[in-house]
Formats: sequence, C-alpha cells, structure tokens
Amino acid sequence: MGDLQMILAAVVQVFTPLNLLIIFGGLILGMIVGCIPGLSVTLGIILLLPLTYSFSSPDTAIISLLAVYVGGMYGGSISAITLNTPGTNSAIATTFDGYPLAKQGKVKKALDTSLFASVFGGLFSAVLLLLCASFITRLVSRFASVEYFSMAILGISLIAGVSGDSLPKGIISGLLGILMAAIGADAVTGVMRFTFGIDSLRYGIDMLPAMIALIALTQVVQKLRDFVLAEGRLDDVTKIDRQGLTGKEMKSILPACLRSSAIASVLGAMPGVGGGVAQFMCYNECRRASTRPQDFGKGSLEGIAAAESSNNAVVGSAMIPLLTLGIPGDGVTALLLGAFILHGIQPGPTMFSKQGVIAYSIILGCLIANIFLYPIGMFMTRAVAKIVQVRYTYLAPVIIIFCFAGAFAATGNVKELIITAAVLVFSYFLTLLDISSTPLMLGMILADIMEMNFVTSMMSYDRDYLIFFKRPISCVILILTVVLVISMIRINKKVEALNQAQLEEMRKQEKEE
Amino acid sequence: MKFKIKTNLWSGIVMGVFSVAMLVAMPGQVRLPMFDSGAPSPRIIPGICLAGMLVCSAALIIQSLVFGKEKELEFDWKKEKPCILLILLLCAYVALIIWTGFIPATVIVFPVLLYYCGERKPAIYLFTVAAGIGIFFLFKYVFHVSLPGIPGLGG
Repeated sequence: MGDLQMILAAVVQVFTPLNLLIIFGGLILGMIVGCIPGLSVTLGIILLLPLTYSFSSPDTAIISLLAVYVGGMYGGSISAITLNTPGTNSAIATTFDGYPLAKQGKVKKALDTSLFASVFGGLFSAVLLLLCASFITRLVSRFASVEYFSMAILGISLIAGVSGDSLPKGIISGLLGILMAAIGADAVTGVMRFTFGIDSLRYGIDMLPAMIALIALTQVVQKLRDFVLAEGRLDDVTKIDRQGLTGKEMKSILPACLRSSAIASVLGAMPGVGGGVAQFMCYNECRRASTRPQDFGKGSLEGIAAAESSNNAVVGSAMIPLLTLGIPGDGVTALLLGAFILHGIQPGPTMFSKQGVIAYSIILGCLIANIFLYPIGMFMTRAVAKIVQVRYTYLAPVIIIFCFAGAFAATGNVKELIITAAVLVFSYFLTLLDISSTPLMLGMILADIMEMNFVTSMMSYDRDYLIFFKRPISCVILILTVVLVISMIRINKKVEALNQAQLEEMRKQEKEE
Repeated sequence: MKFKIKTNLWSGIVMGVFSVAMLVAMPGQVRLPMFDSGAPSPRIIPGICLAGMLVCSAALIIQSLVFGKEKELEFDWKKEKPCILLILLLCAYVALIIWTGFIPATVIVFPVLLYYCGERKPAIYLFTVAAGIGIFFLFKYVFHVSLPGIPGLGG
C-alpha cells in the first residue's frame, strides 16, 4: 500500500464520530490537568491510559492520549497567565509576558494570543510530521536488531543527559529503570531474576502501575502536601475580561509564531529535547529578532506567542523520532511509547510498512486535535480557568482512586496495587536524593526493546559483543549518542543560565516598579 | 527537625551500596540456564546496569568529596511530614483494599485523608465517597474490570 492510499485509509479510520468525540474529551482533560499547577500532561495521559484499554482500536487509544498532550500544552498557559504559575514546565516562558499582560487587565488578550500561537505551533509541527515521518522511516528501513539496540541506548542516554542537572544521577535513574524491568522471568531463558522469593515479583513489574506511582501519585501527594502546608488557601486568580486578540495583533505575532514553530520543530525532533528547553531558546530568538525587544518581559504579545507556539510545536515534532525510530523525545513521549507498547503498536522504522494506516491515523489525529483546539479553547478556556479555583480536596481523592483502579486494571491482580504502593515509597526516596524519575520511567519502557534486540543481535552474531561498533550505522548511532549527550548538557546549562538571567531581569524590573 | 541532605554524596553512597548488594546477590537471584540456547546470559543486562550504577555512584561521591560539587536539599520534618503521612495512608489504602475490598477501603481511607488535609466540608466527604463507588461501578460495567470486592460477598 502506498503512502497516499494509507493516508486515505487513515482518514476514513480517524473521521468517525467516536474518534472526534474522544479528541474533544481528550483536549478538555488535557486543558484541565495542564492548567492546574502541580498536575501535568503526564498525569492526564496516565489517568486516561487504563481507560484506553476499553477502546477497540489502538489508534483511537493513542489519538485520545495525543489529544490530552495537545490540550495540556495549551492548558499550561492558562494558569501561567492567570496565576503567574505555569501549569506545566513548558509554560514557564509564558509567565514572562503572560502574567504582566494579565496584570494590565488584558487577560483575554493574553489567553487568545496563547491559544492562537499554540494552534499555529501545533499545526506547523503536525504537518511537518505528516510530511517527514514516512521519508525518515525509508531512510532507516535497513535497521536490524543491532541498530535498534543502539537506538534504545541513544534514547535512554539522551533522557538521562537532560534530566536534572546531574548526569550521573540521570544515568543511575535510567539504569534503575532497566533493572526494575528485568525483575521476574527472563523472556528468553525463563530464568527468574531478582524476585527474592516474593510472589508479587514473579511476573515482573508491570509498566502501568509503575508509571502511575512514579508520575501521577507522586505529583498528587506533593500537591496535597502543598495544600496542607498552605492550609487550603488558594492563589488569587486574575479575572478574565472580554477584550480578545484583534486581527491586526494576530498579524503582528505571525512572524514570532512562525520563527518559534520552526525552531521548536527542529529542536523537538531531536530526541532528548522537550518543550521545556525549546521554549527558552525560541523566546530568546524571537526577542533578538523582534523590532520591539524592549517590550519582552512586560507583556509582549510576541513573547507569549514565541513561548506558546514553541511548546505546542514540540508535540508534533517529538512524535517524529517516536514514530520513525521508536525513541521518545521527552518524558511525555516516553509515556506515549509505553502506551504504544501496551496497545501492541511497535513504533520504529517498520511502523510505516507494517502498521502504516495506524501510523497515519495517529498523525491525522494529532492534526485534528490541533485544529479542534482553537474552537474548544475559544469557548472553554473561561470554564477551564475556573477549575484552578476548585478546591484540591475535590480533585485529589478522585485522582488517587482512579490511579489505584487503573493500576489494578493493568492485569486485574492485587499484586499491582502492592507494586504501586512500593514504587510510590521508592519514588519518595528518589525525591529525597534529588534523582529524577523520568529516566527511570524511560529505562523501564525501553528495557524490553533494548534487551530483546540485544539478545537477537547476540544470537545472530554468535555473541560478538563488538558487533555494535562493527556495523557502521550502529557505530554512528553510538557516536552520535555521545556527541548529542555532550551537546545536550551544554544546551541545558545555557538554557539554565538564560532562564536565570531572565528571572533576575524580571526581579530587577519588579523592584524598579 | 531540619537537616541538610548532601544529595550527591548520599545518592552515591545509597546507590553504590545498593548496586554492590545486588551484584553480590546476583548469582543466587539470577541462576544460569541449565542448557545453552545460544542466547547471552540472563545476568548480562542486570550486570551492566549494576556496574554502571556503581561507576556513577563512585562519580557522585568523588564529585562531592573531591571536587566539592554538591546539591543540598533541606529536609524539614514540618514540610515532609504531610508527604510521609499521605504516602503511609495510601499504603494503608492498598492493604485495606486487599483485606476489605475497594469500596470499604475507599470509604475508610479517604475521609481520614480529607480530615488530615484540614477539609471540614461534609459535601466534599460525600462527593469523594460517591466518586469512589462510582469509579468501582464504572470499571466493573464500562471497562469490564472487577476491582476487589468485599471478601465473601463479591464485588
């Protein structure tokens, strides 16, 4: 089947009332979890993941999760603008101009700018994904198990390299994830590994309960702690006025949107770079190129547009390495990779040849979610913003109950609940040691792919451990891994410095005022 | 009670001890297969991981003690107590689900959790319990997943 035929088949598959309804629901869920500070897109995806088991089609399941991702990226800007508290990490740069504009009484203008830029960035990268994905897979179609193993190493190394400010801690976390995934019966030899005679560990640690504990429950517990410490007080939310973005203003922010979307699409397609990194680079680049750089940090529409189009552009472009190479670009795409595997979809070079219609359905779903975001954002933002004011004691218990029910649903065995509680305790210890759990999660997700391809390579090449360096493509990937890790660490340091400088500048301005 | 945690040093020590302990335990915990299938040893991936963790742990200890590169986190019992208690409460929730079933555990644990969080509005208590029961039936009839019922009475 050719690409065009697959696209047409995907169109038929995606444009069903159920899928469109699911995209609608996913976008709203994403906006809600994205706009509540302390919750995140990952939480939304994890909450929805157990429910996707009931969907008959795997592409519908992935599309629903992508809709949460798209909605969450925009949702993060709502609290960034109304509360000066970014709902997600990717919305930090939005606070630089969003909140000052809100303080001037132009909340609706700020929110509209954010929505327009988010949709622009999202569509830009979704189209890029549609155009590039198949082409890239053709380039990497000669990959065998040796190259797949090297790709898995690349994926883990990059996330380890960019998670937190300590590379050894990131690597430890990633390796811990692989080790956790190794617990239980070895798939090839059937040998038990690290079960310590505990029955609950005989079948290993399932991905879903671990992800629920590491991401969702950890977040909710931390947010509840903040609620207890604040004695239930809520932040003041800036009221939303009615003066939206004018056509002229929309035109004026187009260059910033375009510049930012293009940069973020390139950055997002690089494994290991998420919206968190892209937003600062785009913000600074747009400020440098702007005719009014002095307005940045004081409520500039271009500033909001730069930050918001960048984080939504990352959504589509981060799917490029995920779909074509099977390696995730950031924590959220790592989670999506887990969802792909849970639903029996194998992303990577063979995806467009073996599951082409599903691949294009996912891409089209991403495109539609971005298109739907605009009307939904226009009509629902005001209502969603009010959720920020809902007492957290309403939300937290429901989220926790859902999490445990979802963890149980993974296999229908109570051992999943025990593992969830154990991983939650473990996650707290990691927090005390300042070790990020994102590489751990990625390690767990990629461990199976890595080990399976490692074993296949070893069996095919008579246990020649140097084969990964002997095959040219694999060797190039491993060299690239080292080069990219070093450059990512440098970029991270640069972004941190830029962020620090930006914050200091803002503090200085506040003092002057 | 407040104290500072030198995270690089302690991460290095804790993870170093953990990886050494696991490496020592590996021969007993990961037995070699009785026959050679041509596949690499099942110990190889865990072994590489543990060795890598040991190297990184050593790097963290050296960073901290030799180069003085350290990230300190302040452990404030006042701030951490709610977190620890909430985690313990969730562990108790799991135990109660296993012993009493999903609905009784939800009805017992979440009012306690809400009370601890300082919540005094009865409506929120009712909403939470109703949501718990609703989720039980949502999973049972919509997603066809029977969450643990009351032992002896079924779900």
